[in-house]
Amino acid sequence: MTAIIIQLLIGGVLLGGLYALIAFGLSLIYGVARVLNFAHGTLLAIAGIAASVMSAAWGLNPLLIAAILLPVFFAFGWLMYVFLLEPLKARNPMQTVVGTVLVTVGLLLILSDLAAQLAGPTNRNIRLDLDVFAFGGIIVSTTELYILLGIVGLTLALHAILTRTWFGRAVRAVTQDSVGARICGVRAGAIHAATVAFGSAIVAIAGVLYTLNFPVNPYVGFELTVKAFTIIILGGIGSLPGALLAGIFLGVAEALTGFFWSSDWAPGLSIMLLLAILILFPQGFLSRSAT
Amino acid sequence: MTAARRLPGRLLIAAVLVVAALVPIFGGAYLTTFLFTLLYAYIVAQSWDWLHGEAGYVNLGHYIYFGVGAYAFAIANVNGAPVILSFLVAALVTGAMGALLSFPLFRLRGDYFAFATLSLLPLFELLASNLVPITRGSDGILLPPATAMIHGIDVKMFAYYVALAGSVAVFCLSMWMSHTTFGYALKAIRNDEQAAEVVGIRIFPIKLQAMAYGAVAASVAGGTYIWSFRYIEPRTVFGLDVALIPVAMALLGGSGLLWGPLVGAILLSVGIQLLILNLTMLQFTIIGLAILLIGRFMPGGLLRAGWIQRVPLLAPLGQEHHERIAAATAAAPAAADGLPLARAKPDRSRVLLATRDLTMAFGGNVAVNRVNLEVREGEILGLIGANGSGKTTLFNCLSKVFEPIEGDIVFAGGSLRGLRRDTVSRLGIGRTYQIPRPFGDLTVQENVAMPLMFRADNPLDRRSAMAEAIRFAAFAGLRDKLAERADRLTLQQRKAVEFARALACRPRLLLVDEVASGLTPAEVRRFVDHIREVRDTYGVTVIWVEHLISALTQVIDRLVVLEQGCIIADGAPNNVLRDEHVLRSYIGTGAKVVA
Repeated sequence: MTAIIIQLLIGGVLLGGLYALIAFGLSLIYGVARVLNFAHGTLLAIAGIAASVMSAAWGLNPLLIAAILLPVFFAFGWLMYVFLLEPLKARNPMQTVVGTVLVTVGLLLILSDLAAQLAGPTNRNIRLDLDVFAFGGIIVSTTELYILLGIVGLTLALHAILTRTWFGRAVRAVTQDSVGARICGVRAGAIHAATVAFGSAIVAIAGVLYTLNFPVNPYVGFELTVKAFTIIILGGIGSLPGALLAGIFLGVAEALTGFFWSSDWAPGLSIMLLLAILILFPQGFLSRSAT
Repeated sequence: MTAARRLPGRLLIAAVLVVAALVPIFGGAYLTTFLFTLLYAYIVAQSWDWLHGEAGYVNLGHYIYFGVGAYAFAIANVNGAPVILSFLVAALVTGAMGALLSFPLFRLRGDYFAFATLSLLPLFELLASNLVPITRGSDGILLPPATAMIHGIDVKMFAYYVALAGSVAVFCLSMWMSHTTFGYALKAIRNDEQAAEVVGIRIFPIKLQAMAYGAVAASVAGGTYIWSFRYIEPRTVFGLDVALIPVAMALLGGSGLLWGPLVGAILLSVGIQLLILNLTMLQFTIIGLAILLIGRFMPGGLLRAGWIQRVPLLAPLGQEHHERIAAATAAAPAAADGLPLARAKPDRSRVLLATRDLTMAFGGNVAVNRVNLEVREGEILGLIGANGSGKTTLFNCLSKVFEPIEGDIVFAGGSLRGLRRDTVSRLGIGRTYQIPRPFGDLTVQENVAMPLMFRADNPLDRRSAMAEAIRFAAFAGLRDKLAERADRLTLQQRKAVEFARALACRPRLLLVDEVASGLTPAEVRRFVDHIREVRDTYGVTVIWVEHLISALTQVIDRLVVLEQGCIIADGAPNNVLRDEHVLRSYIGTGAKVVA
């Protein structure tokens, strides 16, 4: 029994770490550009499918795949912001919200349908066939260790970028006070576009890591976006440690729900959690991070 | 508009309805099915717009009501309920659900409301898939083939007529809403919820009703859908792709416009139909692209587009219904001069308002600190203090914009503890805001009419309220601005709108927050006269926050000075303005006091 629980915890932590990376990209974008990107999780699905196709067709190393996808997604994010989202900012607030939602939801539908047409609607993954270790009933694969390494490495890199670089400081400044940042010489438009690009690039790498161990199909995207949004609300906008903690909490909770109750209900956990938080703390989590 | 000019339009509508009614008989199965899908989509789109176009909430999960209605109909029908009963069950279940969901959902606004409602779609898909004993899971529910015909006629035909009747009903309901106080409450909510409460509108039941009515309408659409197509499974009624099409329709035509959702439903249905006929794949890409393009390029919808507005016959379609009514009634003459308020002689011996140790803090910042203030009936009290000394926070406590963390407020003998903003407003506390908050997309007349429609005793209907509003507006000097939108006024005019709107709340206590700053000396004099008249003739008690001491001293009976949330002086203006502490902390030593 203990072995099973530990096994579940390992899976939950890995999954939660990946959720955290998705959520962190989404929360950076929301915090800086004030865009709630409903297509964010779908970008992960696309990255995962692309990675799986490249791995199966050309046998490329996942690291190389990530290196290819990174600039592509960065450019996609940039273009998406400049051509689709930035023009909406000129409208009144209500129209901006509706416009952003429609544009990103439309993008979600287009991306998942195109992916289904090009790569098929079924589950895919990347097969590495690496060694597996067993410690007294607990099985850990080398792939899982690589994913853990990837999550930790990416998190540290993100932390370094946000705290040590000019871009990171600008991002944090705009998140906290957009007008103040603008007065201090931060070019808001460029920072917005760069942040959307940056968040999309994070999701590309997360997508490759995700597909190493978990199946992706063109339609998992929105589910992942809901999870990411739940994590943001739990962990606070723009907070990397908050996202990690909340992500791991959700990953573990899903793993345990799937085991003790039914895996049919595990995908609903994040939505119910989201609604519960929104009901119990209507402003709580947000106002705290705002002040 | 005269009846003669309306006639051609009405004939056209009648002709279209007759043609629509004949389609199932002469039009063939394909056309009937196409029009049927258009009709039920229109019902969903229009009922979605009650909450969005009128009240400003983006409910992306509105389609769950369609799905739940369809499921409720199917479950009732399969268990032997006749069709009419099945429709009733669907409407009741879904309406109740809409009302229940209002409680958590309306704690959110903007992006968060949109996200929470959108996440309802996957949640309900999951519920429908997993609650197998009730919904039969992903197998779906098939209505019994034996009931597919009634007297030898395919039920598709009946379902079509129900959808047609439903469409006419939601259209008429939307038109009716613009005439009612309910519609105006929704418009007030769209503009500014806090200001709506402060003028006496209890907003939550209004939002709940808009949600519940929308849910019932969508459930009827869902009922016709399953009745006609005979089969339902989770993805077809809770999928993201189908669920957002009605939203896209309403926005394509023009949200908030009477004809907007209908025009959008027609255009988008025809467009998607044409594309899908010519394409065997990528259908969801087409739908997604349509949604994306509408979001990107159609902020106000087609009917508000510039080129439509230049066509004389089409231009009125781009105006909200209330805008046309408002323009028509603005010309009505005012019945009499003065304010339609009861004349009253205040009893100076009675205390109208008393605060006891009133305290308000934001985190560690104590903005109002143990304030004990008494205001007698008919008194005009001046309130001064440096910026940040707590004047506006005190007002916000009195009008219950903030619930004080400690202490009590007694107004006219009763405690205000735990009371809502609208209750306090109806009890007789009216206020203006330092930065004016009129309802921006309503006219001056509509702004002022708002409290008249929602006051506690004898609330007026729209027509009488609009007529009576003219006298309040005229009193505040806005006689020739009645039909002007409030967001197109100058700052001073917007302050005047707020003053008139606060008076229309029939206040016993009027809280005036910096109305005189920025006025010319002549305007200040006129405003001072207004304040005096309001007190002398109608017995209204006034607390006036102002930095312009020369204006205050013309009219006030008593002056109170706040410093860092505490009262540091309270008494006759002349004494207070010579108080050393006041001179040091606010006015500045060496100043020549004009009194």
